[in-house]
Amino acid sequence: METPLCNDPIRALAQRTALVDGMVERSAVEDLWPSFPAGLTLLAVGGYGRRHLFPYSDVDLLLLVESSRMAQDAPASISAFLQTLWDSGLRLSHSVRTPEECAEIHDQNIELNVSLLDQRFLAGDRALYARFAERLPRFLHAQRDPLMRNLTRLSRERHQKYHDTYYHLEPNIKDTPGGLRDYQLVRWLAQIRNVEAPRVEPAFLFLARLRCYLHALAGRDNNALTFDAQEQAAEYFAAPGAAQWMRDYFRHARDLYRAAVRELESSEAQNSSLFAQFKDWRTRLSNADFSVARERVHLRVPHALEADPELALRLFQFVARHGIRPSAQTEERVAAAVPRLEEWFSGPQPAWPALKEILSLPYAAEAVRGMHDTGVLRAIFPEMAQIECLVIRDFYHRYTVDEHTLVTLQVLAGLRGAVEPAVKRYTDLLSEMEDPALLLCALLFHDVGKGNANGGHAEASLHAAEPALERIGMPRPERDLVSFLIRRHLEMSAVMTSRDLQDPATARDMAGRVETVERLKALTLMTYADISAVNPTAMTPWRAEVLWQLYLLTYNELTRELETDRIPSAVSEAPEKRAFLAGLPTRYARTHTGEEIEAHLLMDGIFRDRGVALALEKAEAAWRLTLVTADRPFLFASVAGTLSSFGMNILKAEAFSNSQGTVLDTFTFADPTRTLELNPTEMDRLRVTVERVVLGRLDVGQLLRNRPKPALPSRGSQVAPTVSFNPQASDSATLIEIVAQDRPGLLYDLAAAISAEGCNIEVVLIDTEAHKAIDVFYVTAAGRKPEGDRLEKLGDALRRACGG
Amino acid sequence: MKKIEAIIQPFKLDEVKEALAGIGVDGMTISEVRGHGRQKGHKEVYRGREYTVDLLPKLKIEVVIGDARCEELLKTLTAAARTGKIGDGKIFVYDVAEAIRIRNDDRGDAAL
Repeated sequence: METPLCNDPIRALAQRTALVDGMVERSAVEDLWPSFPAGLTLLAVGGYGRRHLFPYSDVDLLLLVESSRMAQDAPASISAFLQTLWDSGLRLSHSVRTPEECAEIHDQNIELNVSLLDQRFLAGDRALYARFAERLPRFLHAQRDPLMRNLTRLSRERHQKYHDTYYHLEPNIKDTPGGLRDYQLVRWLAQIRNVEAPRVEPAFLFLARLRCYLHALAGRDNNALTFDAQEQAAEYFAAPGAAQWMRDYFRHARDLYRAAVRELESSEAQNSSLFAQFKDWRTRLSNADFSVARERVHLRVPHALEADPELALRLFQFVARHGIRPSAQTEERVAAAVPRLEEWFSGPQPAWPALKEILSLPYAAEAVRGMHDTGVLRAIFPEMAQIECLVIRDFYHRYTVDEHTLVTLQVLAGLRGAVEPAVKRYTDLLSEMEDPALLLCALLFHDVGKGNANGGHAEASLHAAEPALERIGMPRPERDLVSFLIRRHLEMSAVMTSRDLQDPATARDMAGRVETVERLKALTLMTYADISAVNPTAMTPWRAEVLWQLYLLTYNELTRELETDRIPSAVSEAPEKRAFLAGLPTRYARTHTGEEIEAHLLMDGIFRDRGVALALEKAEAAWRLTLVTADRPFLFASVAGTLSSFGMNILKAEAFSNSQGTVLDTFTFADPTRTLELNPTEMDRLRVTVERVVLGRLDVGQLLRNRPKPALPSRGSQVAPTVSFNPQASDSATLIEIVAQDRPGLLYDLAAAISAEGCNIEVVLIDTEAHKAIDVFYVTAAGRKPEGDRLEKLGDALRRACGG
Repeated sequence: MKKIEAIIQPFKLDEVKEALAGIGVDGMTISEVRGHGRQKGHKEVYRGREYTVDLLPKLKIEVVIGDARCEELLKTLTAAARTGKIGDGKIFVYDVAEAIRIRNDDRGDAAL
């Protein structure tokens, strides 16, 4: 192969331009000027005009004529001129125009208008050229708006054709977003708007070099960077490997694409007169830090970032809350403040509360993308640098690792508003997540280990994530879930493809891996997002179905074992501990730490002395009441009712009983009016009241009579209640699952209804997610599964209770 | 030449691919399909509601091979895909009139 001057592309392109100039001039002397002593000028336009002639690109010529009649009078000499150039091997494309025609807007031929931006005099009538050259700037100025409109429309169409992304397995380095066309675009737009063009020269040089190489390799105007060409180019440019070299390619394409999009947006904003007249309602979102104008967030005090690095986090909280992107200027300011942010976050900074808020808000995916693009994310988590533009080189992974990570968040955001049943069930799962922020956080880190993994990247990701999460001050229980998700993020998809889902052992094994329904839900969603973000067609309906079946089988296994799988009496433990643990559901051992079990054991001792043991403590944002006592009818309902009578809002509850009939009830509740926090004496009153109710010295009905009935939530947010029975779920008890609109006192009403029908509550698992209560009761009647009439009456009573 | 179309259990894909590679068969087309034979479907309960899963996820493998090697391939494929339980799938064998490699006009066995 003839070696092009790939190392100095500018010189190579200029040399070829000079060569072609000479050919055109000689041919004109021979064929053209004898017939046109005056009234004809040759102009180089397009790439040829700006002296960027690639080895095999087209040569664009404009024949500027005094009048169109002139060209018609001597067609033979023009033909001869073009023929000579064609015969010498140039791929010529030409047009014949008068100066007047050049100064018209051609909606159907935008390329002609645009090509004039790069016009260059070659030879011929200088007076004619002067007339044209004088007219051109006036034309550009007068027709600025339609020119910009046409150019932006054309470019948007081109980007759209490539799905608005520069991620392509085999990109066309001229036309795909982030290609050479975008370099021209930013320069043209700057020229039309008469502003300075953004500096994207490194990207241009990289692509120019590459295009020279691709032309030389193919021996024609080839701009497709195929898999084979990537291998060859990596070798030619002495890169350590094709994946490494493609990483460079994507970095440059990214820079160019971002510059192009930014220029397009500024042009469109400037161009839209309708927009300018539109009174922007969002301005009312403005606050002390930010103002909103023209659908973009601006910093009120541009220099404030230096003194107040946390302003960057507040900015992205704002983005996450309202879904409005920062203005280009704001993004630049934030990017410029990154060194300051790096310094700020390098120590142990409790950034988690702020980050958690971002991740919990509706537009979290957009906010994280903004944080990524401006460098803020890497300032907080330098670990992310490992995956920046990292290429997984196969025909399956469409995106670089960092982009894949951002797409997983978009996939979850895209679940909102899904209507198709096959997808909507994942939406429901997401709405049942207690803390979606933790799932998003796990997704942020799940592939970080791909940057330096030999072997399993899940472990490497975990290794990178753990110190980072500790550094930002994420509390232990939250860190545990995030770590679990990162470590196990490949397991469900592995089971999907390698295990027989119909085999009961598969569900048992999966249940053993996730241990709780809460983790199962999170891991299912993580798997859904991870597969979906590999490439746009990776999550086929077939795969979504298989994943759902795995979820379902495991879910049923976990709820079944809640009643059926009991902790056996372990001989090795101390006698008291053995007696306490024996017969509790296995879930108990899985969801409690050794310390918690020891604390419960102590309470068990107190209960033996006093008939009841109580613990009340503040846990994170909520309160927790733990109770150990002897089981009796109405016990669970009474405690739930007592809490309601204090105005407490029960978020979660668990009730387990062991073989000796000792129950361990745990209630997690919110204190909406902060009564307990502000009045320590109220804590004592609550404790004493619960004790008296448990011991039967106080009637809960009386307590509740003094409470006003709470207002029901508005119709729009109502959850249609479902009450379902499953007698097969356990060997000895019937499962009742209730999904209903949450309201204060709901749990009391449900539990009381069950007890009133003479049923005994064996196991309870209560969860509340965003006004939706998901309650699981395992009940027996006289030691057996309730049947017939009783079941029907119970169903009616529960449905009535759901309605309030 | 014969075309072999095998409907198999999804979790058997890796084993089948490895077994076929072991006898020198690397090229194949794989698609995600849904269906049922005598296995019919089954019922699942979620949140107390019953769902009938009547179309089960399966994978379809298609391979074209010369007559001489067909039996060997069938034996290997069956052995690798079998669990002995209902739902293991089925294999269909078709006669193929011609095969042409588009790149260079190779025909017959040479094109495989």
